[in-house]
Amino acid sequence: MSQLDPTLDPALDLSLEAPRRIRRGFHVPGWLALLLSNTKSRLGLAMVGLVVVVAVIAPWISVADPNGFSLLAARQAPSWNHLFGTTDQGSDIFSQVVIGARRSLLLGFFAAALATSTAAVLGITAALLGGLVDDVVNVLINIFLVIPPIPLLVVMSGYVQDHGMTTMIVVLALVLWAFEARILRAQALSLKSRDFVDAARASGESTARIVFGELVPNMISRIAAAFVLVFYIALLVDAGLEFLGLADVSKTSWGVTLYWAQTNSTVLQGEWWPFFFPGAALAFTVLGLVLLLAGIDEFTNPRLRSEHKPHRSRLRMLFGGRLATREEGVS
Amino acid sequence: MTILVEQPSGSRRKTGLLELRGLAVEYGFGPRPARAVDGVDLALQEGEVLGLAGESGCGKTTIANAVLQILRPPARIAAGSILFEGEDILGKSTDDLRRYRWRNVSMVLQSAMNALNPVMRVGDQFVDAMRAHEKINRKRALARAGELLELVGIDHRRVSSYPHQLSGGMRQRVVIAMALSLEPELIILDEPTTALDVVVQREILQQVEALKRDFGFAVLFITHDLSLLLEFADRIAIMYAGEIVETAPAARLAENPQHPYTQGLLRSFPPLSGPLTPLTGIPGSPPDLRDPPTGCRFHPRCPHCLPEQADLYRRQTTERPTLRVIEQGHEVACHLVAEGAE
Amino acid sequence: MTAAAPLEVQSLTKHFPIGSAVRRAHVHAVDDVTFELRPGTITALVGESGSGKSTVARLLAHLDEPSSGAVLFEGSDVSHVRRRRDVLRYRSQVQIIFQDPFGSLNPVKTVRHHVERPLRIHRVVPSNQVEQRVHELLRTVGLVPPEDVAAKYPHELSGGQRQRVSIARALAVEPKVILADEPISMLDVSIRIGILNLMARLKEEHGIAFLYVTHDLASARYVADDILVMYAGQIVERGPIEDVLSEPLHPYTRLLLDAVPDPATKTDAQEIDLRKGDTSAAVDPSEGCRFRARCPLAIEICSQTTPQLVEARPRHAARCHVTAPAS
Repeated sequence: MSQLDPTLDPALDLSLEAPRRIRRGFHVPGWLALLLSNTKSRLGLAMVGLVVVVAVIAPWISVADPNGFSLLAARQAPSWNHLFGTTDQGSDIFSQVVIGARRSLLLGFFAAALATSTAAVLGITAALLGGLVDDVVNVLINIFLVIPPIPLLVVMSGYVQDHGMTTMIVVLALVLWAFEARILRAQALSLKSRDFVDAARASGESTARIVFGELVPNMISRIAAAFVLVFYIALLVDAGLEFLGLADVSKTSWGVTLYWAQTNSTVLQGEWWPFFFPGAALAFTVLGLVLLLAGIDEFTNPRLRSEHKPHRSRLRMLFGGRLATREEGVS
Repeated sequence: MTILVEQPSGSRRKTGLLELRGLAVEYGFGPRPARAVDGVDLALQEGEVLGLAGESGCGKTTIANAVLQILRPPARIAAGSILFEGEDILGKSTDDLRRYRWRNVSMVLQSAMNALNPVMRVGDQFVDAMRAHEKINRKRALARAGELLELVGIDHRRVSSYPHQLSGGMRQRVVIAMALSLEPELIILDEPTTALDVVVQREILQQVEALKRDFGFAVLFITHDLSLLLEFADRIAIMYAGEIVETAPAARLAENPQHPYTQGLLRSFPPLSGPLTPLTGIPGSPPDLRDPPTGCRFHPRCPHCLPEQADLYRRQTTERPTLRVIEQGHEVACHLVAEGAE
Repeated sequence: MTAAAPLEVQSLTKHFPIGSAVRRAHVHAVDDVTFELRPGTITALVGESGSGKSTVARLLAHLDEPSSGAVLFEGSDVSHVRRRRDVLRYRSQVQIIFQDPFGSLNPVKTVRHHVERPLRIHRVVPSNQVEQRVHELLRTVGLVPPEDVAAKYPHELSGGQRQRVSIARALAVEPKVILADEPISMLDVSIRIGILNLMARLKEEHGIAFLYVTHDLASARYVADDILVMYAGQIVERGPIEDVLSEPLHPYTRLLLDAVPDPATKTDAQEIDLRKGDTSAAVDPSEGCRFRARCPLAIEICSQTTPQLVEARPRHAARCHVTAPAS
């Protein structure tokens, strides 16, 4: 009956009131202030930031050769000499983990950049141009969506001789772009039908300017979310492939450390540290990215917004109450 | 808060079908919640059509949601009571509320026509709704749905149509028919025709009037379109920034509006016949309810609020006016009126 | 003639295909529409939703292409121009204001961006004067102080203020024609008059020709000089607005007038006939008057031949066999 739609947001009744003011404070760029204004993304940012710092200073806090062979130092439990213990080859696991962070971050970053930019370019172009271009892109997206990614990856990494990072990045981007392309295409389609696009056309804007000047700025948060999502999926998949031994197992990375731990059945011998530390590092990084994503989703989707909650006042204290609040601006 | 206490909490009025006493609804938490509704007293008699008019954001929809108890966080009732047939509905159990919403009050929203399930036949939606609330077999429910559709001027065979096969006006009438299906005593129409064309709007309102004559339900008609209310309502309450600023019988309000806001609203409608004079509307825009103006909330937009009249100006900007009866059934909250009429 | 009317519309027609490839039908959204917009005049285009009135505005704004017919701008047909230079030239003279003040501004761009882009695209002023001109335009539409307003984002403005930004954007190119597509229907009652008054002032001061698309007869009467009434894609009545509204010829215009709540002439006896037909009269219409299913005056000929616009009174024409019969 009448309550058919009690979901109608009662707050809409307030929507026309004098809207909030922007407080432009500090010199925090808008997007960063936005990320910091959300508890989840703030925590995620801090976690990912920590991993980045560790990766940057890795050469100074690790031993010279993280894969060094030393029977004397083999299979040691965590101690002040070897914070995370050593492998059965006597390599320092702490060094492997901090050096491995570099590979993980670089790989995730570039795979995400490649997949997201491919998805954005194809998705938005298809949405705007429509017709044959849209059909072709759609078929492509659907083909990549129905191929199960993990078996494809296993097969591909089996065939590809070069197991370098570039190959992995390309392979990961290839299997991950389609998800995002579909989402970005849908969003571009709905934005395209908004009056401001017609208004820009009526003003005389060129198509390129409408895409990059009007549409893309509205999709930034969605594109950022796509980027973060691909980032951590790439991390997990890469570590998974390495763990299965489907990668170059002579390099230093979290997955490889896990692979050797598995191969040498360390847990059976009561050695938990070769598993625990790289695994925890991976989990920590992924959790950080997941939180970041949850934060972005929250201010992208007003329904998830945790505005008006008491914690905002604490936040004000923390940042001197001068944070830019521009949630509405990014829709 | 303190102001609430000063207000006469409906003590002069006899208890009607629905009565709001000092109702206040807040949005948000923290030190500065927005009071979307602030100390509203309102009574609705049986069979009466009460119009509630005001601009968007003045709190009229919030009142409707409060009456139906479908406010959702961050909105909450901060003070006051809502009496239905003398019984306070605040603090009723979920089950009682469910019965109350179905049996006593139903609501038709502006977007209601989009609330029909697009993949279900119209008739099945009636059946589902009826069987959720009473024991009735499918066949009888369908027959009843057909009758109800005929009542709102839709062919009964339309029970087997899908919503997308109906026009917007027909869908809105379907929703009105659903709202009628259990013969409620009060129907709340929240901008029921705003999305529709004038001709369709007129047809629907004529039907509601005819149905009201037959069934005798009361109507709380919420809209921003005062000219509609002047025709269809018995009595009109004007809201501004969360408060009722004037109530009067429709005819009297049209002839003798007292509050400057009401006067401004009436002057915002150009006439369709007779001489045309330049209109001004109301300059400015409604206040931010998190930080409403002191004194009379309308004073920043009021053409009669002039610093030259120092004494009056001081009162307008510092004292909050309360509703005063200036004539039987005509109440105004305005310092100007209080001056002359009491 | 062309000097008097910057924009002339001749037999403008737009058909949209609907349905599947198997059961294809065509909506005659705009059918054989002819009128002209004169400088310093507001022409109201009135009709119910689905009557094709917004499509006319979009066709004139060069956002859609007509199926046939011509849009003459200062004498030359512009309805099919494609070259960017020609399109730009047209856009520098003909501007549009949209209905939805929340949808027509880009939420992530400031007011300054919206007003400044047309100035830069059409090089209306040298770039060192752009800022100053933006402020002038904002002041013209009543957004003060312009320095503050320019830095705001759309969500910080009320609906009325947003609509004023849209008007400022349209004014930026110093157009001869502004197409206003239901500019006030989504605004609060108390601020609608302000926008109408602004349109009237711009008409007077800048000699702009306005097309005011609306479903609100009272606001049309308040602001417009001439009126075009559309029904199911066709113009069914046109003329000076006072003549049309005081003595409507077409039964549809009469129906519209009766349906409008008008406190000034409130009578309870004013009940109108319930609708019998519907607006799908524009889908693959057969020969005959499109209003006949709902018309109280319909006679036999109405279902046989399509009536033409006939000037039954001076400058006042209607498309009706009964009230404006062809001589």
